[in-house]
Amino acid sequence: MKVAVLSFAHVHAAAYLTLLRDLPGVEVIGSDPDTALAAPGETRGRAFAEGHGVRYAETYEDAFAWGPDAVIVCSENARHRPLVELAAAHRVDVLCEKPLATTVADGEAMVAACRAAGVRLAVAFPVRFSPAYAAVKRAVAAGDTGRVLTVSGANNGHMPTRARRWFADPELAGGGALMDHTVHIADLLDDLFAAHAVEVYAQTNNLLYEGEVTAETSGLVTVVYDNDTVATIDCSWSHPRSHPAWGGLEMTLVGEHATLEMDAFDQKVHGHSERHGRALELPFGVDLDAAMLRAFLYGPGPDGMAVADGEGGLRTLRIVAAAYASARTGAPVAVAGT
Amino acid sequence: MPPLHIGLLGAGGIARAHLPGWLELGARVGVHTQDGSAEKLAAEYAARGHDVTAVPTLPELLADCRAVDICTPTPTHKDLALAAIAAGRHVVCEKPLALTVADAEDIAAAADAAGVRLHPAHVVRYFPAYAAMRDAVVRAELGAVAVLRFTRGGARPQWAPWFGDPAQSGGVIMDLMVHDIDIARWVAGDVVRVHARTRGVEHATGAPAGVVTATAVLTHASGAVSHVSGLWGLPDQRFRTTFRIAGADGLLCHDSTAVPGFRITAQGERAANEGIPSSPMTESPYLSELREFAASWDDPAVRPRVSARDGIEAVRIARAAVESSRTGRAVELTTAPAAPPGPAPAPAAANVEPTR
Repeated sequence: MKVAVLSFAHVHAAAYLTLLRDLPGVEVIGSDPDTALAAPGETRGRAFAEGHGVRYAETYEDAFAWGPDAVIVCSENARHRPLVELAAAHRVDVLCEKPLATTVADGEAMVAACRAAGVRLAVAFPVRFSPAYAAVKRAVAAGDTGRVLTVSGANNGHMPTRARRWFADPELAGGGALMDHTVHIADLLDDLFAAHAVEVYAQTNNLLYEGEVTAETSGLVTVVYDNDTVATIDCSWSHPRSHPAWGGLEMTLVGEHATLEMDAFDQKVHGHSERHGRALELPFGVDLDAAMLRAFLYGPGPDGMAVADGEGGLRTLRIVAAAYASARTGAPVAVAGT
Repeated sequence: MPPLHIGLLGAGGIARAHLPGWLELGARVGVHTQDGSAEKLAAEYAARGHDVTAVPTLPELLADCRAVDICTPTPTHKDLALAAIAAGRHVVCEKPLALTVADAEDIAAAADAAGVRLHPAHVVRYFPAYAAMRDAVVRAELGAVAVLRFTRGGARPQWAPWFGDPAQSGGVIMDLMVHDIDIARWVAGDVVRVHARTRGVEHATGAPAGVVTATAVLTHASGAVSHVSGLWGLPDQRFRTTFRIAGADGLLCHDSTAVPGFRITAQGERAANEGIPSSPMTESPYLSELREFAASWDDPAVRPRVSARDGIEAVRIARAAVESSRTGRAVELTTAPAAPPGPAPAPAAANVEPTR
């Protein structure tokens, strides 16, 4: 199995390169030629690949000429489309970082291109591989919760711009926290309910990192689904930068017959480091990225969880697009295409 | 200092939370209800040597007290408060102050005209974790506050049927979430836009009653946003409140069930779900609240951390959330709140003196 990682713009590229490098039976190559927009000091290109012990291709064409069975697209959000279309043109299955794109039009074009070429388009939503989410899904599927009335979700992290500046550049990222963090929980609910979002209300501000970036850094998004469930998602970059963890993802579901809580990243040993003068956290939970990559390359594991497909990525993108419209107008907005 | 003689109206759950506080403050308490429960409550306390007596009529109660503490179902607040104010008594009134903004404003205007104090009993401001969090925000410990989350949930109240009738209690938003709506405004300032949704069984008819839950997003004038969620849940839903306050310079989180200080880990059988939250590790927040209210009657320099206007604004925001939930639209609170009938308006949180 030969896998190429296209672009190292996304902060997840490092984890993918390392995981693929260590997966038995997998050969990995990286290519990152479009680095002109990287901020000074960001390690990209050949140096990045070599730093992770991975072979490097100077151009994307070289990477495809190598004959990959699958590619992973880790470019800036607004630059996913050309790479996914390139994969479709080479008839190679593709896993695209989230969000699928920054505009619904781009997302639709990507889904259409992959469908026309007969290649699989998957979207990188690792949290659906969390055992905590699997437990939620089992409880809902078995009817233990009854009808789910409301969901409160929070996907908070620190603003990722120190590693990669483009995350808060609206041109490249499509926005800020709302674009970055709404889709993970939206994807879980897309998988959980198989229901369509019909209406979105969102409010944002940039009181966090004010003066440092212009993109929104805080957001609350309320989504009403056609099964009548209401979900409110905190997508804010509200996790302190100096905290030992990057952030986390939590969700509370209130059902008619049970209330459930999950935390995808709470399995940690907590302590305090005298050496570093700060809290110490030792995560011991399942590596969600690894589980996602295995499912993308080899199909669902024993729990049956598959990677999100392009259509699913497009549905979550439509929610984000409606959220931006709502944040601009201050009123609930109908979700297009449903 | 005049003797502290309190006229307690009601003998239900919240009256039972307030009564020990009044007694701790050295008060003599007369209790009046219309269903005979005052006699039972008074007898219970008198048997333990406390100066608590049942008073058969409202005029008798009003004739012989310094202040009235209204712990009755919400729809009765206005008439009882106006009667107490007409008798020249200070008024402590359980939250929500009233079911409508107009009623809340009428009560406050009457108190102002009569020169008596009106204290909406938003007791969460006296819960030590909330007070500590708000003090930290006022000290600018978190920098500009950006995103606030509040949750509050427990078993659906079944001890009095009026809770299950939204026409009387206002439902989960007006009765339960009004606590955190008040805290959100206390911490992040006035609210300009509200969006809310309610799900589940609003009218409690069955036994046990169905679950009802609501979610509200408040937009503050500062630009900060608050998520407030409330749950009247299943019979085994443990009472729990949480907050997470994120600012540019830091983060504060609290989970009431995570830090009890003391817990029973086994007792042979499962304990019944508690209704009124209590913490054996700190002073009763009800006592702290009543002490601060009573102190302000003797010393004009004492300004309780919750004002009449705060009570009105909590009703205004909660009402907007109910309206949003009903119509599906976001509700703008664009008009600056009317000049408060009470003393000076509370300034935005960032400019307020610490609570203690």
